[in-house]
Amino acid sequence: MTVPAETKTVEVPWQVLPGYQCFGCSPSNEQGLRLTFTRNGAGIETRLLLGRAFESYPGVVHGGIATTVCDEIMGNLLVLRVGATVFTTTLRTRYLAPLKIGVEYRCVATTDAGPDTPAPLRARAEILGPDGSQHVTAVADYQPATEEQARRRMAISDSDAALVQQAITAHRIEN
Amino acid sequence: MSNALNDVTVDDVIATVTKLVAAEFGLPEDQIGADVDLSSLEGSDSVKVLRTVAKLERAYDIELEDDQVFGLKTVRDAAQLVVAVLEEQR
Repeated sequence: MTVPAETKTVEVPWQVLPGYQCFGCSPSNEQGLRLTFTRNGAGIETRLLLGRAFESYPGVVHGGIATTVCDEIMGNLLVLRVGATVFTTTLRTRYLAPLKIGVEYRCVATTDAGPDTPAPLRARAEILGPDGSQHVTAVADYQPATEEQARRRMAISDSDAALVQQAITAHRIEN
Repeated sequence: MSNALNDVTVDDVIATVTKLVAAEFGLPEDQIGADVDLSSLEGSDSVKVLRTVAKLERAYDIELEDDQVFGLKTVRDAAQLVVAVLEEQR
């Protein structure tokens, strides 16, 4: 049976590293967001349902967390689209309406960037409420890194870096 | 960005903004004149205006500064701002 693109789980490349601790997407970081991603057209989406550990004002999700979710999903989309590790250089968030604790939201990321797009690579994200209304929008620019640059900026062995690069290539998302 | 966006006129953007405002405010397009004060529209609030701005930024792949956004009064103001920002980016 063919699985519709919208329901396909997106494999983030870092999961090939045992015990990776990404605050955004590692399933083993108990303090993290533990986001998972699925395809959404040419982009990807994640669902978030946050508890009080991520609170700002009572009952309201912390704005920094909302921005982190947007950065996480845009970064992962670009990595899988361009086939290289990317680093955030600028990110602007527009907060339109508060996110509430205990309510499920969707965050959708899109980009026009591809493997041949010159840097900086731009992506956009929006967090949508249960009725589809926009609560947060974000736009960010990212700088792609070569394998060597990525290795120098991370605490990662050569063999693990090679594993990640293989996974990035294997899970590429085409336009 | 495509060359098409370099040729955008204020009238083009007025048409786009009118559509976005109509959708966000739930009003027919013919009730939204280019020079009508957005705050006077039925059901107007700042969130609806901001959501319209967010969609406008996306439509034209631009970023507007808050001091520009909060100074917008009418559809024409928004259209003129978009065209000015696009011209700056050329």
